Amino acid sequence: MTPAGSLLIATSLHKTYGHTPALDGADFSIHPGEVVAVMGPSGSGKSTLLHCLAGIVKPDSGSVHYNGRELTAMSDTGRSGLRRGEFGFVFQFGQLVPELSCSENVALPLRLNGVKRKEAESRASAWMERLEVADVAHKRPGEVSGGQGQRVAVARSLVTGPRVLFADEPTGALDSLNGERVMELLTEAAREARTAVVLVTHEARVAAYSDREVVVRDGKARDMAGVR
Amino acid sequence: MSGRDAPAEEPRSRVPIARWAADLAMGGRFAVTGGRESWARTIMTAVGVGLGVALLLLASSVPTMYQQHNERGDARSAFSFGVGVKPGPDTLRVTNGGTTYRDQDIGGILMAPDGKGTAPRPPGIDRIPATGEMWVSPALKDLLASDEGKLLRDRFPYRTIGVIGDSGLAGPAELTYYAGISQKAFGHVDSSYHIDHWGVDDKGKGEPLDPALLLLIIVGCVVLLLPVLIFIATAARFGGERRDRRLAALRLVGADIHMTRRIAAGESLFGALFGLAVGGGLFLLGRELVSGVDVWGISFFASDIVPSAPLALAIAAAVPASAVMVTLIALRGIAIEPLGVVRNAKPKRRRLWWRLLLPLLGMAMLLPLAGGFGAGSAGGDMKAYQAAAGAVLVLVGVTALLPWVVEAVVERFGGRGSVPWQLATRRLQLSSGTASRAVSGITVAVAGALALQMLFASVQADNTESTGQDPNRAQLMANVPVANGAEARDAFARYRATKGVRDLLGVTDDYVSDVRPSKEDPSSVPEEALTVADCPSLREVIRLTSCENGDVFLVDSQSYYGEGEGFAKPGAQVNLAYHDGGTPDLREKKLWTIPRSATQVKPRQDPTGGMRTGIFATPAAFDVADLPDPQAVAMIRLDQKVPDATEYVRNTSAALSPAMDVMRLSSTSQSDEFSAIRKALFIGATATLLLIGASMIVTTLEQLRERKRLLSVLVAFGTRRTTLSWSVLWQTAVPVVLGLALSVAGGLALGVMLLKMVGQPLAVDWSGLGTMTGIGGGVILLVTLVSLPPLWRMMRPEGLRTE
Repeated sequence: MTPAGSLLIATSLHKTYGHTPALDGADFSIHPGEVVAVMGPSGSGKSTLLHCLAGIVKPDSGSVHYNGRELTAMSDTGRSGLRRGEFGFVFQFGQLVPELSCSENVALPLRLNGVKRKEAESRASAWMERLEVADVAHKRPGEVSGGQGQRVAVARSLVTGPRVLFADEPTGALDSLNGERVMELLTEAAREARTAVVLVTHEARVAAYSDREVVVRDGKARDMAGVR
Repeated sequence: MSGRDAPAEEPRSRVPIARWAADLAMGGRFAVTGGRESWARTIMTAVGVGLGVALLLLASSVPTMYQQHNERGDARSAFSFGVGVKPGPDTLRVTNGGTTYRDQDIGGILMAPDGKGTAPRPPGIDRIPATGEMWVSPALKDLLASDEGKLLRDRFPYRTIGVIGDSGLAGPAELTYYAGISQKAFGHVDSSYHIDHWGVDDKGKGEPLDPALLLLIIVGCVVLLLPVLIFIATAARFGGERRDRRLAALRLVGADIHMTRRIAAGESLFGALFGLAVGGGLFLLGRELVSGVDVWGISFFASDIVPSAPLALAIAAAVPASAVMVTLIALRGIAIEPLGVVRNAKPKRRRLWWRLLLPLLGMAMLLPLAGGFGAGSAGGDMKAYQAAAGAVLVLVGVTALLPWVVEAVVERFGGRGSVPWQLATRRLQLSSGTASRAVSGITVAVAGALALQMLFASVQADNTESTGQDPNRAQLMANVPVANGAEARDAFARYRATKGVRDLLGVTDDYVSDVRPSKEDPSSVPEEALTVADCPSLREVIRLTSCENGDVFLVDSQSYYGEGEGFAKPGAQVNLAYHDGGTPDLREKKLWTIPRSATQVKPRQDPTGGMRTGIFATPAAFDVADLPDPQAVAMIRLDQKVPDATEYVRNTSAALSPAMDVMRLSSTSQSDEFSAIRKALFIGATATLLLIGASMIVTTLEQLRERKRLLSVLVAFGTRRTTLSWSVLWQTAVPVVLGLALSVAGGLALGVMLLKMVGQPLAVDWSGLGTMTGIGGGVILLVTLVSLPPLWRMMRPEGLRTE
């Protein structure tokens, strides 16, 4: 697939931690509403690629364009604003604020964006219903199962209506049944909202939910569109 | 299910000692073998416990410090109350040569042997200084050699022949000297004594301490030491969450619940023992640092700072035991399972009854002491213990109430408010214990300090007396010892010529007696004072409408004091002649006639607060040189623009008489004892609050580190730094504010009780209340500010990396 019409394009990304190269000239692109799985063995650099694409980490060199804007040239405040408003995130674990209830967790990104509490809670409640976790709205993350917690996290990532959703091993801590349900709900909701999903995983059955696969090996990303 | 699947728990009583020892040892190994994290936790605990131990050891050394200090002070004392020693071949004539230099008191004794025998030698020197020689303390030697002491050198016209040894000093930073003067020079000294030995005879016969001061000291010690104990308990829990996860891993490989507890106890025990060693080291280091430090004129030798043996043993035993106990209590609230640590999601509601019982019990112990606490009352020692126990119970009770209050209040916070507020209050709702524990130290310190401030305010009123002096009319006063009126005139002239003196009010007075024939004993002949001074000076001591040189004025002592015969009348003759013993000489009278023009006037309080009566003559009416044995008083007005004006005056005084000191006039005077205790408690309370602040910082940092990944996730979805910074501030502020409110209530209640005990009227020290709550607020800000840089560091997205 060509970068033309892409929402997010990364070109020749390099990133080194200490003496260890994590990315060594990686390229990537994604279209609106597309689900792209980033695969690769442990330590290959797939999470670093996700962090660079989301503006969480600045690459040492290379560029990341989002909707015509160069992310690497933006200030930390600018990138934070972008992440608050246009990106969503789901991680493998440790992402829900333990002291907030599940519905408060889902409403959190909206409240950080200045949305009034009642409005935020009502939108959060709609997303929780959609992800089939309305019954745990008033429970704390420590009181719900792993699968429920992950669905709460997915609801939280989609509540702001992001244009890109970054999911880093979203089912890594779940059993296959729960994992599949989470993936179904995540991709369904994203496609409906035309949200692009960058899905980092090393599991083929998770990658199967994507439209396209990109394999990262030794810091280089290879599009497998033609291969699959 | 077979026994293999569910092994029976070992009965505690049957656990062999070897098993206990092995588990404890394993815990000890975990304290150091878990890599950087383990060491960090162990060192944090050890430093925390060590700081507390060092403070406790220092506190337990106080009795020895004062004993040593006082013993040395007593041993070199030349002035004791008792039968006067008559001069002899082996006696020494001494007088006090103490002076003041820029608010520093300098002790000194001037001496001259009475005969050719062996006069007693003061401790710390090899020989009695000959005339013109002096021995100085090391601190005085340094001061005299320094630029700062330049002006002081003029006050000591003696040759330094050596440095006083430690046995002659109460403390290493003491400023003192022994100087030799001639017997003739004693003629210019107000009072002197003859001694045949050094050291006090009335050892241990000092006045009992004022009951209010005694109570202040008791409660002060409680207030300062309780937070230290709480701090030690907090330090023993440092890194607890990480430790619990390690214990869960042990459960996975087969450790039972009792074993994990013993291992955790072992880990704490190691940290506490390490802390004891660190505390010992810090104490030894601090001892060297404290040695030579002068605080309000008191200093101690390192060798004085020795903990009392029973107290030191108690500390060595209690600290590790408490660390283990705190750990075991902390483990009660969690279940360590093989697959992880399960904190009781819904912890049992805190109970109020026993928390209320403690302060009520304390009050019940204090109540019977109301109005009856004091050294003079019966059962003094028991009452002191009862007062201390009562105060401890009230303060501990306030601490015990805090977690309940915090829990009860934060539970009522809904989901309203900003995101930072919501994050903070939700965190507190989930676990308010950690926050309450950190704040409890502040609560004790503030409640105790507040109670003490109330007691202070009342004691201060008791100890602050109006002197009647008026520093606006004169700032310094010197009683100049003169042999005759001419010397007084010269002395005033020298003061007037001194740099920094703007004006001088000099009055010279002596007694005159009635000349009328009397068959009575000469000692009962009526007397009146005759004061000679110029018109400006007279205006300061009597009320004058007009005055010219040559005038004489009279103030009838009978009208004002109801005594005196009223023989000093215009035209009357008075006798100026006196015997050496101070009785009027009726045989060889020296007569002077009070001019007929002398007018009756009213007295006026002079700048030193005194009221004078008798005859007042200007120099042209009476030649001051005719006064045979006068007293000369110089009241000096200083030029405030001249720096060190007081020191120039003191130097002039020393030149006039080696033993003369100058008094600074002040409208009020305060008991030195009271001032010193107040300062000591204030410094102690501040140090305690800082210590607690340090423990809160460590606790907050630990919490932040535990949440490193969560913070990174929050940053990933764009949370602003300010949002999280505010949430840290709220998280610190809410328990501290609640703690302060509780401590104000507890402090006021204890304060009222203490005031009742010493029979003082109820008075709230609002400024003290403001200061202490202000310091508490400062601690919130300090903790937040110090937590921000690490918080921001942890908010970096690198925290998301797992590989």
